[in-house]
Order: sequence, then C-alpha cells, then structure tokens
Amino acid sequence: MDQTQIGLFDLAERRLAWADRRQAVLAQNIANTNTPGYRPRDLKPFAATLSRAGAIAPVRTQPNHISAVSGDRAPGETEPRPAARAPDGNAVTLDDQLIRVADTETTHALVTTIYRKYLALFGIALGRSSSG
Amino acid sequence: MEINKALSISARGMDVQTTRLRIIAENLANQDTTGSTPGADPYRRKTVTFQNAFDRQLGAPAVQVKSVGRDESDFQMRYDPSNPAANADGYVKLPNVNSLVEVMDMREAERSYNANLSVMQATRSMLTRTIDLLK
Repeated sequence: MDQTQIGLFDLAERRLAWADRRQAVLAQNIANTNTPGYRPRDLKPFAATLSRAGAIAPVRTQPNHISAVSGDRAPGETEPRPAARAPDGNAVTLDDQLIRVADTETTHALVTTIYRKYLALFGIALGRSSSG
Repeated sequence: MEINKALSISARGMDVQTTRLRIIAENLANQDTTGSTPGADPYRRKTVTFQNAFDRQLGAPAVQVKSVGRDESDFQMRYDPSNPAANADGYVKLPNVNSLVEVMDMREAERSYNANLSVMQATRSMLTRTIDLLK
C-alpha cells in the first residue's frame, strides 16, 4: 500500500511543510525587527490552507516570480494588523513574534511525535518491537 | 528547503546586528576624539540603517545593511584653550556622540540579536526532530 494514501502521513507532511514555511516567515520578521517601515507577516492558519486546498491558484515555482497576490507577499501569507508601530514605521513586536515561533515549534514537535507513533504502529503490525 | 532558509535569514539578522554593534563600539570609542588642528572637526557619529531586500543567493528577501551614514547634527563646544584643536576663541568642538543614546542602541541591538538566536535555536530543534524521524 502506498503510504501517501494513508491520510495521516499526507496530513502530517503538509503540516510539517506549513510549519517550515511559517518558521521562515517568522525568521524574516525577527531579522527585520529594526528595519524601518517593515511590517510583519504570517501564514494563514493551517486549517484555512487545508480547506482551500482544492482551489486553483498560480504557483510560484521560483522565488523571483511575480506573485498573483497584490503586494509582495506570497500566496497564503497574511499581514496581521500591527498592534503598535515604532516611529520609523516598523511594526514588529519581538515578544509576539517569539510566541509565534514557540507555537510553530510546538506544532512541529507534536506532528513529528504523531508521525513516529504512527510509524511505530506499522512496526508492531509487522511484528517488530515498537522501539525499533 | 524552507527550514534552511529560515536558518540563513536568522543568520543574516544576527549579521546586521553585529554590524550595528561594531558601529556603536566605534562611536563610543571615539566619543572624545577631537580634531588635531585648530578649529578642526572632531569625530562625527556614524549611523546604520537596514533594509529588507531580495537576496539572489538565498532566493528570498533577507535583511541587509542599507547604508552607514553620518549624523549631521551640530557639535558641542567646550572652552579648553590648551587643547590643540581649540579655535581662536579657545573653544574645542566635541564629537556629537551621546553615550546614553549609544548604550540604548546597544541594548536594542543585543535584544534583536538574542531574538534571532532564539529563532535559530527553535529552527535547529525542528530540523533535528525531523531528522530524528529517520531513526
């Protein structure tokens, strides 16, 4: 049986990819914490990405392609309304961003754990010990 | 891979904050540097600005140092006729470095650097955990 036909593996893979992307976006925000005029971005919640998985949208196969979304954000990204703005126009709040990073990390840990557990179930079914 | 990109972006963030710290160190070290000839200009405070620009090598926008500028504010004058840089009236131009401002900037740079470091650690643990799936 093809592993990808099992919903959980597919779902876990997508969720991990989402966490990876989100981490890159958040790293971007934090690296730009002192860049004048920079506004932080975030990804749409995972549930939202899942529900419009069937929708057709142009795909950027290279980062320097022009995106179909107005502005310079990639599809699936949002620009949350900033809570505060520094006099130079920068709207990154460090603590808020770090909370998001921690959240992404927890999600990632959760998904990898579930993935391993599920894999271990296959091990049991095949007669191996769950640790191996 | 996005996660490697995240690591590189954090590294760039740390890099620009280091440049900023270097400029601050330069300003603080030179806060008493006066000119050497009568009426000469002393050390002028340097400033650094950042921008988020597309990085070809990385294939994503990354933060970089936009420019290292000069603070064009006025110099303070101090009466010190024995100084070699004193003008005809005995006044010396002092650098426009305010140590309070510099220390404040230093704190901010440190905080930003730490934040980037935290992201890097989080990213690294995510990466390790993904690799652990192979075990």
